[in-house]
Amino acid sequence: MTEHVLEASPVLRVAGRNSRDEVLNVATSAASLPVVAVGSTGLSALEPLVLATQNRQTAFYESCTPQRAADLADTLDNGELDIEDADAVIEHASTPTRLPIPDRSPLGVGTRTVLGRCGWLRPTCPNDYRASGGFETLTADGETVVGAARRVTGRGWGDAMADTSVGDSWKRVIDADGDPAVVVNAHGTPSDRLLLESLPFLPLEGALAAAQIVDASDVIIYLSEADNQAHERVTAAIENLPQTNAAVHAVTGPDEYRAAEPTMALEAIEGSQRLEARLRPPQPDIEGIYGRPTLVHTPRTLAQIVHATSGAAPTRIVTIRGDVQHEATVELPADGSLATAREAVTVDGTFKCACVGGQFGGLTPDLDIAPTPDALGAAGVGTEGVIDVLNEDQCLVAYIGEQSRFAQDENCGRCVPCREGTVQLTDLLREVYDGSFRPDAIEELLRVIESSSICAFGRDATRPVATGLDHFEDEFAVHAGGQCPTGTCTTELQHEVSQ
Amino acid sequence: MSSEFTRTDVPPLTEAIQPGTATDPTIGSTDTATVTVDGHEVTLEEGATVLDAVTAVDTNEDVPALCSYDREDNIGPRSECRTCMVETDDHGLVPSCSFPAEDGLNVKTDATAATEARDVNLDLVLSNHNLRCTTCGKNGRCELQDAAIATDVEEPRYGVLDDRDAYEPIDDSSSFIQIDRNKCILCNRCVEACNDVQVEGVLHMEGSGQDTRIGFQNGAETMADSTCVSCGHCVTVCPTGSLVEKGIEDAATLPIPGFTQKNSIGQSFESTDENKEPMTPMKQDDRSETNGPTSTNTAGESESESELEDWP
Ligand code: SF4
Ligand code: SF4
Ligand code: SF4
Ligand code: FES
Repeated sequence: MTEHVLEASPVLRVAGRNSRDEVLNVATSAASLPVVAVGSTGLSALEPLVLATQNRQTAFYESCTPQRAADLADTLDNGELDIEDADAVIEHASTPTRLPIPDRSPLGVGTRTVLGRCGWLRPTCPNDYRASGGFETLTADGETVVGAARRVTGRGWGDAMADTSVGDSWKRVIDADGDPAVVVNAHGTPSDRLLLESLPFLPLEGALAAAQIVDASDVIIYLSEADNQAHERVTAAIENLPQTNAAVHAVTGPDEYRAAEPTMALEAIEGSQRLEARLRPPQPDIEGIYGRPTLVHTPRTLAQIVHATSGAAPTRIVTIRGDVQHEATVELPADGSLATAREAVTVDGTFKCACVGGQFGGLTPDLDIAPTPDALGAAGVGTEGVIDVLNEDQCLVAYIGEQSRFAQDENCGRCVPCREGTVQLTDLLREVYDGSFRPDAIEELLRVIESSSICAFGRDATRPVATGLDHFEDEFAVHAGGQCPTGTCTTELQHEVSQ
Repeated sequence: MSSEFTRTDVPPLTEAIQPGTATDPTIGSTDTATVTVDGHEVTLEEGATVLDAVTAVDTNEDVPALCSYDREDNIGPRSECRTCMVETDDHGLVPSCSFPAEDGLNVKTDATAATEARDVNLDLVLSNHNLRCTTCGKNGRCELQDAAIATDVEEPRYGVLDDRDAYEPIDDSSSFIQIDRNKCILCNRCVEACNDVQVEGVLHMEGSGQDTRIGFQNGAETMADSTCVSCGHCVTVCPTGSLVEKGIEDAATLPIPGFTQKNSIGQSFESTDENKEPMTPMKQDDRSETNGPTSTNTAGESESESELEDWP
């Protein structure tokens, strides 16, 4: 094959996360043309997705079986593109650098700027990435990169600059004493995992660009030990990076929700066996990893900076899951609406509401919210980039109780408002089943946990309960009267200890 | 956990010490600062916290600052109890014990949100405390008791820990120090006294969530099996009746017949009274000869109860 996949024609691409390999093997043995493994598009409903490209045309075959892939490869080997059977066919330039986008769901939903090359390039091939316009940030003018960092807000709770301008943090690192470091916190969120699996060079490029600006000598990619594929891909990509002044390392931490908190990430990287949050201020950008001034950004943040450097408007990546047939990761323009993400999935049953913002997201019956920190904040929901859909069978009192108990079980144990507050919160919610619903006591506790916990774990843990009371207080009242409208909470369940 | 990114310059003496706690950044102001607290101006040296300003003036409201310890530089701030919250114009509510005294900061102790946060957090500490002061050796010289009295706690809103099944056994195995974790507020002072002051590396913080507790770095279940040298520093710094010197553990107990600290808990790890040396057998490196401590109750049942229970 040619030096990079973009020039190859004809070529058969197989995109996907799981169950891709069999399709790949069968198609490879069926034909002599290049059959290449590309990363996931983030849309599990389509995968394995086979893309046949020839003569400025790409045909899409969704959920492709190995047999069908073999037939397609064989047909293409004979110089023909099977257009009849394709789910979509797109005409394009001779060497498109991005996945061509058909005008149909789910690929056509939202925009695809940061995700544009997912499913089109071989994830760990540096030539593919370079040919697609990659690594340009590394030679861009420093002022341009810093300007981009100022326009981009940190993405996800694992980012030390969540929802605030990244440029401020870069400035503090530059001004601080000590040898700076950059931590790429990829722990725990589906979209960050997708970027590392499908397009690892993109966040790495952003991290190296940041390292150049702040003059960091180490870049540390931190991820969950459960994310094997992401770990393999990023490790392979690290070996193929362009030469820079920073050494790049990959480090894994425990597969626990709290391990994504920025300072617990630092603790895990330093090898602490027990993870708890560090005090702030000063923030990690003044005293971070081993006391060094440290940037902590998620892959999403760094990817946004790369694109902003080349002039693209910031977007937001969201993963929609829960009571849907297939989880989907899509990208929305800043002036768009979260409701658009719903078009990428089929809801199981009837949509009741959504928990927006991940584990400790906010409940909302209405998804028509712009995907910006301001708009999401005003709606009381979280910015973590995950939408959990809840259908009409979900009892919100039970759902909220489970979130509260998760907080009680999974906190690090350091501070009283979170460690003891979540126990009392869970108890107050449980009391509802005994007929005692005390919204004032619950709200007082929520205020204190939110305002006095050390880290974002405790602060965010209040959100499901607070928004649940805002939108669904009547469901609590009905439960206190001994009834569960969805029939989820039966009276027997109340006192029974199930296994 | 894998780590191919490690540091090589750790001093050998402290390398082996694993306190189980986070490595906090340097706390305190970077310059001298003048701060206003409830209308009073205070000027403070570099390295000062907002609490230094709060304690320097006569504040409108009492600020318990329960977990803070100002008598030794190596200890704290742990900043975990959050009974020191105050309101600032620039940053909203802040924990005064660990927030730097910034020049020009305007602090109010009597803002509604600050008072609420201190009161609720103090009640949250009490909710997990075996509040039986009358059988406690620290009765009358306990910082938690002082805080509760100063804050006029009459009826803690979340009650107190009085579920006998949830109590941890008292560790009475050492001849010198008794541990009652049911009185521990997890202030971490003892861990820091043991590691950062004495450099003994005996105590550490372990577990997470509700299972967070002080334990022993050598993995021992009891003080007698730890590597303690009985220097007593941990006892000196403990604010509550959680760590007390043997012999006076009942000193402040009110004389109510049949009502003692131990039987308020119901179970304990007893001392075999065979080791009268300050160093534990483990420290003497004499592991095989002495008898281990005995337990008056089966150990380990305090953990993992109610874990399988489903919501609700
Ligand atoms: S808020 Fe929760 S997770 Fe964060 S430090 Fe406090 S106890 Fe730990
Ligand atoms: S008495 Fe033992 S546990 Fe306490 S500080 Fe001294 S060595 Fe450490
Ligand atoms: S035993 Fe005492 S000093 Fe140690 S953490 Fe508990 S309350 Fe603090
Ligand atoms: S005294 Fe500040 S948190 Fe305990």
